[in-house]
Amino acid sequence: MTFLQPFILWGLPLILLPVIIHLINRLRHRKQPWAAMRFLLSATRASTSHAKLRQFLILLFRTLAVLALILFLARPLAGGWMGWMLSPAPDVVLILLDRSASMETKISGGSTKREQALKLISQAAKQFEGATRFVLIDSATRSPQEIINAATLPELSLTTPTDTAADIPAMLQAAFNYLLENRAGSAEIWIASDLQRSNWQPEDARFKTILAQLGSLPGRSSGIRVRLLALNQPADRNSSIAVQEISRRAKGDQSELQFVLDLQRNTESSERFPIKTVLDGAEAQTELALEGQAARWRYKTDLGNRKEPGWGSFQLPADANGSDNTTFFVYGSDAPLRAIVVGDDAQTGRLLKLASSLIAKNKDAAQLVSPADFSNAKLDGQCVIFWQGALPNPADAERIRTFVDQGGVAFFFPGGKPDAQSFSGLGWGEAQTAEAEKSFRITKWDEDQGPLAKTDEGFGLPLAQTEFFRRQMLNGHKSSLAAFEDGSPFLVRQIMGRGEIYFCTSLPQKEWSTLGDGPVLVPMTQRLLQTGSKRLQQVASMNCGELSQADQQKQWTPVDSATPKNIQSQAGIYRSGDRLIAVNRPPSEDDIETLETSDAEKLFAGVSFQMLQERKKKSDALQGEIWRIILFGMLIFLVSESILILPGKIRGEENPASTKNSKREVAA
Amino acid sequence: MTEKGHQFLDPKVLSRLMGQPLLSRFAMEGTVSGQHKSPHRGSSVEFAEYRNYTPGDDIRRLDWRVFGRTDRFYMKEFEAETNLRCYFVLDCSASMGFTDKGESRFDFAKRMIATLAYLVIHQGDAAGLIIVGEKTVHELPARRNPAHFQNLLEVLDKAKPEGETGLMPVLHEIAEKTRRRALVAVFSDFFCDTTELLGCFQHLRFQNHDLAVFHLLDRAELDFNFDRPVRFADLESSFSLVTEPAVIREQYLQQIRKFLDLLRSGCHQFNADYRRIVTDESYEKVLADFLTERTRMASGPR
Repeated sequence: MTFLQPFILWGLPLILLPVIIHLINRLRHRKQPWAAMRFLLSATRASTSHAKLRQFLILLFRTLAVLALILFLARPLAGGWMGWMLSPAPDVVLILLDRSASMETKISGGSTKREQALKLISQAAKQFEGATRFVLIDSATRSPQEIINAATLPELSLTTPTDTAADIPAMLQAAFNYLLENRAGSAEIWIASDLQRSNWQPEDARFKTILAQLGSLPGRSSGIRVRLLALNQPADRNSSIAVQEISRRAKGDQSELQFVLDLQRNTESSERFPIKTVLDGAEAQTELALEGQAARWRYKTDLGNRKEPGWGSFQLPADANGSDNTTFFVYGSDAPLRAIVVGDDAQTGRLLKLASSLIAKNKDAAQLVSPADFSNAKLDGQCVIFWQGALPNPADAERIRTFVDQGGVAFFFPGGKPDAQSFSGLGWGEAQTAEAEKSFRITKWDEDQGPLAKTDEGFGLPLAQTEFFRRQMLNGHKSSLAAFEDGSPFLVRQIMGRGEIYFCTSLPQKEWSTLGDGPVLVPMTQRLLQTGSKRLQQVASMNCGELSQADQQKQWTPVDSATPKNIQSQAGIYRSGDRLIAVNRPPSEDDIETLETSDAEKLFAGVSFQMLQERKKKSDALQGEIWRIILFGMLIFLVSESILILPGKIRGEENPASTKNSKREVAA
Repeated sequence: MTEKGHQFLDPKVLSRLMGQPLLSRFAMEGTVSGQHKSPHRGSSVEFAEYRNYTPGDDIRRLDWRVFGRTDRFYMKEFEAETNLRCYFVLDCSASMGFTDKGESRFDFAKRMIATLAYLVIHQGDAAGLIIVGEKTVHELPARRNPAHFQNLLEVLDKAKPEGETGLMPVLHEIAEKTRRRALVAVFSDFFCDTTELLGCFQHLRFQNHDLAVFHLLDRAELDFNFDRPVRFADLESSFSLVTEPAVIREQYLQQIRKFLDLLRSGCHQFNADYRRIVTDESYEKVLADFLTERTRMASGPR
């Protein structure tokens, strides 16, 4: 049970008041000389348990009446529909329904959290029908839709499951906008959510703004009441799978697909997972031994002579949440990987050209141009731009930006001189040279992902053994993939559009470092080319619900399924013309962290807020204000007490004092 | 009436009650002629019966007229009428001093005894007084003269309720010591062992005494209407008891009802004249009822 005015509970010791008064009353007894003492003694001895029970009950009812009064003033909320139903009907109820993939987790009883929420909300809504207008704002569309009959909520298309993520602050903003536009009278916002932290984004600054706006809506003396139906019950047994990286690698005339997949589950027991794989419609099964809660799985599959792009999926066996068991992927055609090396330094250019050629097995894989000629260089078919020297002028910078947006990679090397120019907020500072017979060392770098990650076989790159004699400081960087001992960055990455930009603070020249030896430079270049190859492919992977405006206008046909699907709300493989897209649920939906109920209460501290469910296991009990029941209970206690203190009749016989006049008792 | 004890007498009440004699319900054995039936037959004005002559009978009481008519000897017998000896027994234990409000039952009893004694002596009968505390405190033999009445009033005046009751041994003693039949009127609250008390009544009746039992009770004892915790202090000891009257009221009333029923049925059994008196009643009415009932009983078949 929770309370809207919990500070009144400090008055709980007042329930002892009747007991204290009773004791004081006993202490304040008056003295009465008495003659008929023997009757008094025998009456006290024979005072039956019934009489004592009666006295006890009187005291109990008085205590309970005081307790009920305190609880009533504290405005209690309790499980069960009664409290909810007894609340006064608002003019408008805005139902904010979380339709994210995580809401498809099954709870006890076999229904999903979303189904349970709909069931509970439609039941609660029945009580207000006629008096209240219901407006649904679902997490997938975030557009307010008025509901004619709240009982039909579970059947509406706007309440069906989706593979999208929910953006709770944005939903609240939509609710606020609706209230502002429609000038509704008294209003309530009912939020049904599983409190997934990634959906709620409690640190998001929007929360404060929206709640302040809700509290200050004009024409509402009591403000807006927010009720949260928290379906934060833990899932019984659940696991999820997601493709993190996919690359197509040529092996002679043939090619293979290399995957990096992330598996997460809420148990730790060691077990073998049967995983169903689908490649261009052909199903196969593989098995994976799992220990611990999370695992990264690298998987390869042979494509043979196939040159065209294709698609596929990985599927886990059924568990508590069916919507996180499948992950989809698409792969591009076997296009040659090319890079363009822009720089004045011939040695660096040669090394990079060599490294690129080694990977692509093509002598012309890398084209060497000077910065002045870059504006005329053709970027078609290029994956990576290696830029060495002063940062590009604005025109070249814009060209590079477009290149990266399309999925390409821009990799910047220093020129050795400070540069006033900047690219995406990053710019070159002073160059530093190591002391004689000493070198800069790299001690930590990201070995899980990025160009410096471990090899497929699990071997790390020999970056720690690489010596750096010179480096150039970087201005404006935030986080780095690799850093020197003193914390200054070696490699910095920024995501831009579909592609990435990198800044490396040293050069593969003998004066600068031993990078030119190859063990680090070659695999790094290889990975950059792989990453940049996205630009060449008409395939893409995206999160469900994040389709761009331009793409929304296109006609998308599901490839993985014969039944029609909506690209905006359902995961799968979709085709529009030659373009193939893998739509997956957002990675945030695999987040097992939920918002604590206390944190949720803090979020809504400024408005009238009610947590409508806190139970972890039992799902069919909401909370509501139950002050009417408490008040009714208090009345019952008071009436019971007054009945008990009524002077009782002497059963069966008349009172000996009932004879007013002296009786004559004479022998017959 | 400035003399001691005269405060118990109300001339107006006396004048109203004077018209009613105090009669005995049974034959009495007096020393002088009076208005009460005697167990003895003899010369009197009240004819009783004829019976056959038996040798040894006093021939003066032969009915010669009957002999003249029938040639048979019949003895003519008359009912003797004698005076009444009345003993008033007053319990002066501390419990008699109880009153919740108004007059205590002890004062109430004194007023009744004084009035009855006046009436008794005024009609030529003898009145005696025994005041009983833990042991007999004072005993006045039954006498008829007005000076004795004054003594009686003075003894009544001096009596105070204190100590425990010694009523039962005294009643046995009265039953034994009083050889001639008498009217014994007992004034008490009878808060003692009821079975033993009824044994005393049986003893008195066995000795052919006319027994009148005046059971004096206070209204508070019968109603037991207390609304908050009370420390009840025993009048006859230092014992006290704090209790919640509301809790024990029902039980208390049951107990006292049981006691009253037992006493009443015991008195019925031994043919005693039992009267339950609540001290908020008018003593004049109580006495008027008592006298009227006595007269009615006495005017029945002789």
